[in-house]
Amino acid sequence: MKTSFIELKGRERAKALLDQGTFKEILDPFDRVESPHLAPQGIVPESDDGMIIAKGKLDGQDVVVLSIEGAFQGGGIGEVCGSKIAGSLERALVDNKNGKKIIPIIVFDTGGVRLQEANYGLLIISEIQAAIVALKEYVPVIALIPGNVGCFGGMSITAALCSNIIMTETARFGLNGPEVIEQEAGIKEFNSHDRRLIWDTIGGATRFKSGMVDQLVEDDIDAFKNAIITAFSALNPLPHTMQIDRYLSLLDHIDPTARIGIDDLVKLLDGPAAENISPIEDQPSPGRGRTWFKALTNNAASISAYPSVLVADTEFNGKPTRFLAVVSNAANKFPRARHGEVGLLEGWALAKYVRQAITEDAGASVKRNIVAIIDVPSQAYGYIEELGGIPLSCAAAVDAYASARIGGHAVTGIIVGNAISGGFLSHGLQASRLIALDDPAINVQAMSKQSAARITKRTIAELDEATKKVPAMAYDIKSYNSLGPLDTLLEGINADTPDAANLETVKVALSEAIALSDNTVKQRLETKQAEKGRLFSRLVRTKIAEQWS
Amino acid sequence: METFSFETPAKQHVAQKAHVGVVGSGDLEILLEPSDNKKTIFNVRTASDGFQEIWKSVFTRFSDNNAIDAIITINDFGATPGVVSLRLTQALEVANQTTNVL
Repeated sequence: MKTSFIELKGRERAKALLDQGTFKEILDPFDRVESPHLAPQGIVPESDDGMIIAKGKLDGQDVVVLSIEGAFQGGGIGEVCGSKIAGSLERALVDNKNGKKIIPIIVFDTGGVRLQEANYGLLIISEIQAAIVALKEYVPVIALIPGNVGCFGGMSITAALCSNIIMTETARFGLNGPEVIEQEAGIKEFNSHDRRLIWDTIGGATRFKSGMVDQLVEDDIDAFKNAIITAFSALNPLPHTMQIDRYLSLLDHIDPTARIGIDDLVKLLDGPAAENISPIEDQPSPGRGRTWFKALTNNAASISAYPSVLVADTEFNGKPTRFLAVVSNAANKFPRARHGEVGLLEGWALAKYVRQAITEDAGASVKRNIVAIIDVPSQAYGYIEELGGIPLSCAAAVDAYASARIGGHAVTGIIVGNAISGGFLSHGLQASRLIALDDPAINVQAMSKQSAARITKRTIAELDEATKKVPAMAYDIKSYNSLGPLDTLLEGINADTPDAANLETVKVALSEAIALSDNTVKQRLETKQAEKGRLFSRLVRTKIAEQWS
Repeated sequence: METFSFETPAKQHVAQKAHVGVVGSGDLEILLEPSDNKKTIFNVRTASDGFQEIWKSVFTRFSDNNAIDAIITINDFGATPGVVSLRLTQALEVANQTTNVL
């Protein structure tokens, strides 16, 4: 007799997984830690902000279940609910470091960033990701994607980072939702009303076939529990995010215009490596990423095999430093990634060159600094991107940057252009320190205005109005700075054509940021601006700590 | 969004606090807490403006049968009066359970 897991609400799901009588909720509804950002926008908040933290035992093992309530705001990640996940994972990390084994289980039912709290969501998702990468050194981090909302946006990258992913056939798992791809890339690229297309691209069965998901289960509570118990001790020979050569080889084979299906993809994925691959054509166009890469590396030649990802090692401020930038290539064979977006290729290429630095410096006394030069318009929106597993390619980059940081490399980001959504998560947000140029052309956001309006069913004018009340929804760098993530906001720099004095100013600020880098992402909660800008992120963490043990 | 409160006289005690529902489309969340005010206090936040009279009828009807000394907090996302009644009854049921079933 089967008992549906999908039909349960978030809290019931957490209870259903835990051994009887062991459920203990942290920050329960009566603690009333709700989002402060919704009511000013006329949206009714929920007393738990749609996030259930449950400590307990599963098959006798200490676990913490983090269950997202998909029925509230589409499971979107805002400041409070996101910090509930990040804060719990950070506590679990402390426990595991102290020899108290506790396994995190995340029940994903989320559209990604809650657009009404936009930049909070994006920031905090990167903090959740930082905690997952750190935890994976100690315990498996288990992801459940049961279905209803499914798992999208930045949270699809988060799920792809997990050690073991458990999914049903009736769930969907992709970076960009069908409506957003249609909005950004047109109906010919993806018809959001074509159900068959959606399931064949991002459905559970497809994800299991390609190996992006580890276990496909029926919608049954016991089936989920058994899969989790399997995942407790499952040894992944090579974690998904480390399969860099395998996926880069796949991308060599793929003809993005051929509209291949999952079975073709699986054949290519497991086929022999392509021979005689011709070098990738490069049609560069001017852009800030390229400009600042050249300026900061003193015109060094890129050592990358991929023209859309520039990589160079130079002495910077007397220390070996690897600079990375994602740039436009009008000849990129993936048409949806020709303007500097982070696509399949770019995610894996970033992972390759960051991991290369980790490997080369493994035994060295001085580990080179890593600097991400950030000018990313977004992730790539397209059919082949979703089928080919773009959440995983972005997760590979996130994992590489976070691993470098944890492993002792100073990882620093400098925002010189746009820093948007999955592109920013993959390239920049795992930095220990972030600095930015104070320039009106810079946008930092989770989604373009057009798409955000469509998804939240508001007009652009209504969005602009809401932005006045909630700075996290704004697109400009000054509003972003008010949330606290930046160490420095550099004024008076010509971002497009910097002169020698500009360059010197940036170099000094970057050197300072590098020197201050540690192996965490905690600084962004401790800046002067964060005292106000991250008030609830801090409050949530404090309250979790009080109730944890 | 609209916020308002409503009170009815009450004397019955409830055993414990209760939480039911979610702030999802057509649904609502209820937090019921025992109090010592000799009244039922309903605190409502609703996404649908302009239905206070209907809310009050639903509350009056509930209180006629269950004059509980409690504070009832409601976060509503467009629940119909039928759903509201059902959730109130459910909250009361949970609040009066003597054993906490997990």
